[in-house]
Amino acid sequence: MRVELINIVKSFGALRAVDGISLTVGEGEFFTLLGPSGCGKTTLLRTLAGFYQPDEGTIRFGERVVNDIPAHRREIGMVFQNYALFPHLCVFDNIAYGLRARKIPKTEIADRIGRIIKSVQLEGLENRPPSKLSGGQQQRVALARALVISPQILLMDEPLSNLDAKLRLSMREEIRRIQKDLGITTIYVTHDQEEAMAVSDRIAILNRGRLEQVGAPREIYYRPESLFAAEFMGSSNIIEMDVKGYDQARSMVLAEAAGQSFSFSGPKPPGARVLLSVRPEWIRVVAGPADGEKNVFSGTVLSSAFLGSMVRYRVSGPGGKPMVIEVHDAEQENIRKDGETLWYKLPADRPLMIRD
Amino acid sequence: MRKPFQAWNIILIATLAILFFAVLYPLLYIFKASFISTDTGAFSLKSYATFFKYPYYLRCLGNSIFVSGLSTLLALALGIPFAFFLARYRIPGKNIIRTLGTLPLILPTFIGAEAWLLLLGRNGLFAKGLQGLGIEMPSIYGWKGIVLVFTLQFFPFVFLMVSSALNAIDRSLEEAATSLGSGKLRVFFTVTLPVVTPAILSGALVVFFLCIENFGVPVLIGEDFRVLSVQAYNEFISELGGNPAMAGALSMILLAITLGLTVFQKHWVERKNYTMTSLNPIEVKRLRPLPTFLIWLFCAGVVFVALFPFAVVMISSITKTHGPVMYFGQFSLENFIRAFTIAPRPIVNSFFLATTSTLIGIVFGIVVSYLLVRKKGAVSYLLDLLVMLPLAIAGTVQGIALAATYNKGIIVLTGTWMILVLAYFIRKAPYSIKTTSSLLQQIDPSIEEASISLGVPPVRSFIRVVLPIMLPGIIAGAIIMWVTTLAELSTTIVLYYGPWATMTVEIFQRIGSGDFGPASAYATILILSVLIPLFILNRVSGRDLASSL
Ligand SMILES: Nc1ncnc2c1ncn2[C@@H]1O[C@H](COP(=O)(O)OP(=O)(O)O)[C@@H](O)[C@H]1O
Ligand SMILES: [Mg+2]
Repeated sequence: MRVELINIVKSFGALRAVDGISLTVGEGEFFTLLGPSGCGKTTLLRTLAGFYQPDEGTIRFGERVVNDIPAHRREIGMVFQNYALFPHLCVFDNIAYGLRARKIPKTEIADRIGRIIKSVQLEGLENRPPSKLSGGQQQRVALARALVISPQILLMDEPLSNLDAKLRLSMREEIRRIQKDLGITTIYVTHDQEEAMAVSDRIAILNRGRLEQVGAPREIYYRPESLFAAEFMGSSNIIEMDVKGYDQARSMVLAEAAGQSFSFSGPKPPGARVLLSVRPEWIRVVAGPADGEKNVFSGTVLSSAFLGSMVRYRVSGPGGKPMVIEVHDAEQENIRKDGETLWYKLPADRPLMIRD
Repeated sequence: MRKPFQAWNIILIATLAILFFAVLYPLLYIFKASFISTDTGAFSLKSYATFFKYPYYLRCLGNSIFVSGLSTLLALALGIPFAFFLARYRIPGKNIIRTLGTLPLILPTFIGAEAWLLLLGRNGLFAKGLQGLGIEMPSIYGWKGIVLVFTLQFFPFVFLMVSSALNAIDRSLEEAATSLGSGKLRVFFTVTLPVVTPAILSGALVVFFLCIENFGVPVLIGEDFRVLSVQAYNEFISELGGNPAMAGALSMILLAITLGLTVFQKHWVERKNYTMTSLNPIEVKRLRPLPTFLIWLFCAGVVFVALFPFAVVMISSITKTHGPVMYFGQFSLENFIRAFTIAPRPIVNSFFLATTSTLIGIVFGIVVSYLLVRKKGAVSYLLDLLVMLPLAIAGTVQGIALAATYNKGIIVLTGTWMILVLAYFIRKAPYSIKTTSSLLQQIDPSIEEASISLGVPPVRSFIRVVLPIMLPGIIAGAIIMWVTTLAELSTTIVLYYGPWATMTVEIFQRIGSGDFGPASAYATILILSVLIPLFILNRVSGRDLASSL
């Protein structure tokens, strides 16, 4: 089912926790709300679920406006951050809870639970109380309980944040698999950008109750539209430069920072200064300022760390702010010591400019 | 626009209405009545003028403060060392001493008074025995007896509060002081004592409050020594038709004191409490045999003196009696046979009223706890205030207020059993609300939301998922409500009428007429009805029964 939010506002006293958000989530889409803690993700999700009444705006499920429909009649599956399993009921009864509320015949309940238990791989645990389950198992019960009622929409609020790192990886794949199998419209909340990129069809980046950018993971990663989006999605070096000219014919911007010049492709910048976002893995370490090589900068190594798949340098950057540079597959790399000078080349053919 | 939690809003309004009519309105009513002249019906300050003009009334106030203050000091003198010895030293039979040490506070005070009358009253066992030996005991009647009973029954409050403060002290705290070069005594006076001082102060305030609001003890052994609560009752009930204005004025003065104490406790003392989570409790020390024996003697002695009288009451119940004369040593079941066959009505009444008001109190308590914990808002502050208000009102005052308010007019309750039920559940529900609301606080709200999102409406969600989790706490709260209602005297004595006399009223009246045998039989039934459920609760849930009071 399609979900449409039109200009939703939800305030707590003077604080506008959700501050005018409009979105459309398509049928069967895995849509993620991503943002730092306190940006309003939970508030928005709870407004969708019907636990909060929006102060302004319209919520539509399909064609139907649901603002006035109470939470228990919204036909939503919800997975809570702490799972919210009923501690006095066993796994089977937890999952059966929503079906029994719908007065579904016993045989059908058994049948549907049998299927969902299989799909979330909880066979044999039907009679356990939640307190006797591991974190991952509790997570599966919560998911099964939300899905067994065949909701039109699935809402999940940081469902993996209480699991350890390894389990988080496998659970997120599983969630994605089940979601695809069922084709259920899913709105997922997380503050972990990697997790968001791994599971989502599209991501909405939230900041202080407002949308920063909505798009597919790659779109946001490669074309962040704002400083916030660039810094939040992966790590990024933000360099501020003065615009020195524009080559209309080749669509090249000529810019300069700390006396070093840099030309790169892109549209004509509107002002005299530009903000560039350069991902650490786009920067290439070079031997020295070879003749003819353009866009080569130098800096002093502040620190370096060997991380297995890469070496990560922190180098003094052209704006004075340190730059992060990653060199992948570093077996042959001659790792520079702190204080040495490092020469590096910025990419000229990437979309680098961001809206401030 | 339709609001999602509408059902709860209706419940909130209904709850506030009940509290308004049962608690606040009656107080306002007697407040007003205290300013209305009984003769002319016009506004008048005569009652208050009378109070402050005649030494007779002022002396009641003075007496109240005197016995309460003295009892508080003595309760501290017993309770503090009792707590300290039990917390710090190895004593034989410590667990039994600790458990028995908390018992006095759940045993009805007026039965304690009866017991001391049996021992040291005019026909008392000891009094007569000592007289035979030519020793004249000081009279138990008057302030001495009151102070004796108060001290022995209320010292456990000091003991409990001080022990929990002592147990919360981490070993490192005293070790730090020692390592900074303090000797043992210095550590005690500069570290330990200051840290437990707020608890001592809390305990003292609670004891003072309980003494000043108590009715049963001073009315039974005070005789000519009049205190405020007894005087207010006398003015209200007086055979000459009573003086509502004077009763109102006395009630207001008593109310001002109890409210003042409560506010002081809430806003001063409780805030001063140091909260510490003790990781390593202080080591329990083994002393040499002689000091160990002396400490044991003190603790066991206190417990014995506090509980022995209740044993005497139970023995009296199976002793042959003739009016006030007890034939100790000659056993007979006559008192019980009479209680069960000739006059069983008070027993039935007590059980019926306690059970009915507890059942209502359970529902009320659950609803109020839910509103307080889950539906926090501007109104919940008011709700909290109203629901806890009865804890700050003397039983006599609450009885007088209710009886005066619903005596005439549209709703007449005075003279029905319903007013007793109303008074009971309003007065006892706060105990269960304290337990259930702290339990509810630990239950994550998302459990309810999960149920709602699975299609179950809010109120039904609460009943189906939250209630079952809270059940043990609810049962514990219900037992506390039930036993304290059963033992209630001060409100009952004002509100009951003829056929609805309870066991407590029966005991009270029989002691008054010197009919000790039957009084002891009812008292024994009462003691057992209080102790057995608490014992079972303790066994089943391992709860410290006293912690709920
Ligand atoms: N019930 C509430 N009452 C008052 N403020 C709230 C409430 N819930 C959330 N907030 C505030 O709204 C903002 C957004 O909160 P939330 O939606 O929980 O953020 P997130 O889930 O993104 O971490 C925060 O500043 C938070 O303190
Ligand atoms: Mg959140």
